[in-house]
Amino acid sequence: MATLSLSSRPLTFLRPNRTKPPLHRLLRRKPLASSSASALTPPTPLPDPTDPGPTPLFLRPASHPVPAAALAAFRRRAAALVPPSAPHLHRHLRWLLADAAADPSSDPALLRAPLDHLEAMWTGHVRDRRPFQYVVGNEHWRDLVVAVREGVLIPRPETEAVVDMVRKVEGFADGWWADLGTGSGAIAVAVARELGAEGRMFAVDVSEVAVEVATLNVQRYGVQGKVEIRHGSWFEPLQDVEGKLMGVISNPPYIPTDDLPGLQPEVGWHEPKLALDGGKEGLEHLLHLCEGLSSVLKPGGFFVFETNGNKQSEFLVDLISTKWNSSFRNVEAVLDFAEIKRFVTGYRR
Amino acid sequence: MARALLLRVARYPPLPTPSALSQTRLLPLRRHAPSPLRFVPFALPSSSVSTSSDAPSDGGGGRKGGDGGAGTGGCVDYLGMSDEELMEQCEMGTFKASGPGGQHRNKRESAVRLKHRPTGIIAQRDSPQAVEDRSQHMNRASALSRLRTLIALKVRRPINLEDYTPPVELLQILPLKSTVRGKDVGPQIGPNNSKFSPGMQALLDLLFAVEGSVSDAAKILGLSTGALSRLILSDDSLRTAANELRASKGLKPLR
Repeated sequence: MATLSLSSRPLTFLRPNRTKPPLHRLLRRKPLASSSASALTPPTPLPDPTDPGPTPLFLRPASHPVPAAALAAFRRRAAALVPPSAPHLHRHLRWLLADAAADPSSDPALLRAPLDHLEAMWTGHVRDRRPFQYVVGNEHWRDLVVAVREGVLIPRPETEAVVDMVRKVEGFADGWWADLGTGSGAIAVAVARELGAEGRMFAVDVSEVAVEVATLNVQRYGVQGKVEIRHGSWFEPLQDVEGKLMGVISNPPYIPTDDLPGLQPEVGWHEPKLALDGGKEGLEHLLHLCEGLSSVLKPGGFFVFETNGNKQSEFLVDLISTKWNSSFRNVEAVLDFAEIKRFVTGYRR
Repeated sequence: MARALLLRVARYPPLPTPSALSQTRLLPLRRHAPSPLRFVPFALPSSSVSTSSDAPSDGGGGRKGGDGGAGTGGCVDYLGMSDEELMEQCEMGTFKASGPGGQHRNKRESAVRLKHRPTGIIAQRDSPQAVEDRSQHMNRASALSRLRTLIALKVRRPINLEDYTPPVELLQILPLKSTVRGKDVGPQIGPNNSKFSPGMQALLDLLFAVEGSVSDAAKILGLSTGALSRLILSDDSLRTAANELRASKGLKPLR
């Protein structure tokens, strides 16, 4: 009976370990969130003057008074830059103003950035195809407003379903979970908000920017008591919890390297390659994750990985259920809302 | 020993279970057989609702089909299902042809459109002007709540008036002065509460059973005709549904 062999293949060449981020500085912020925080208006951390990271637009103080007429003129100029045939851009303009102004209807309006900055942000979006989410510094994902910036993947709507799958696992609330390659921390925060007293989430990422952004999101939602952010590559920082995890969640980079040049500019030009490039066939990280699973999961533990779609999911289901049949059961591909086999899930025996 | 793995393609949300499929016979739109569910066709004002005329092909009768709530006569209680269970019976057609998706893509769909397979009811945003949430998850949640309202308005379940007692979800939306409403029912639930839909559905079921007569329904509910009329008129969609129902019985609309 073949047992799952752990890969000794070093992956450091793919995801080089950089020096540790100054975590003490990030963690020094006061815990600001309370459990009563509403989903859409989470408490905003006070600006820390020593924090070198750029504060997302929507969290900056509304300290720039602009006459209503000037704001209206900006709105007209901005709308004129995009054709009526692009309704999503008009939607983005409404959202930009909603995020940039404390009260867009007051006169003067109080903006979170000078008007010429807004102007530059808007042209950056429509001309340079900078993702709207990086412009305003957030993405609305499930019932969260997740802070994002360049250097972390913008969480995708497909991934929202992962939280529902995890929640259905028996004993979910009091288990220990890991989100590998947490990025903005969206999954980790959404899952942590539903964990019980014993539940815990280890959010791992090799990117320093991701560690910073995830830390911010964890604080904004007040789940720092449940989420432990660890800097490192995949399973590396989890050696002390081997065999203890109820579940492993990951949305790893899965786009085949050859497909990167053809990506939508918002994605290909602006989002981090580190979070997108899955190597040859897009499977490099997914395979590494599959190989490490059985040593971190406790018996009966659950895993869910997001994949590139039908081909990758079918391949992985087939691989796990033949090569590692003795280690896993109930391995299956799960469809997303567009009926694409987007996820692979299963349980450790 | 190696056991055969359970290999199958799951769906998120999962497809209905085989036991649910066997219940398709109970579903509406089979006009050749007596059906416990019936549609009362009517148009909703400013609605984006349509009811497909094709019979349900892929089942999804609902796991709770056999449970039967009080007064529902043992037929499918869609509104008693959890959001997840209801979602399992829905298609999100809008997203079918959206390319590779996932990490490839940065674009939100503008609206979530849900088709409830067992009934053919389609729920989407009320109008293009309606406020759209920035999260797809939230858009789906509001489409689902819209679907619940539409099910309440459109899906009629038969009532046996001989031994009818109003179900608790109906009692909850009645004014406190109702004489059949026990003290333990709690405060009156209004149209903005998510629990209003099941009560509205039960009220329309009753009104349907008494051939649209508000005074007959009021008697059964321990209310004056005026009090029940006021309840019906308090919600636009309920009023419209009740008046369509009355019109189909040749009765004048409530005003």
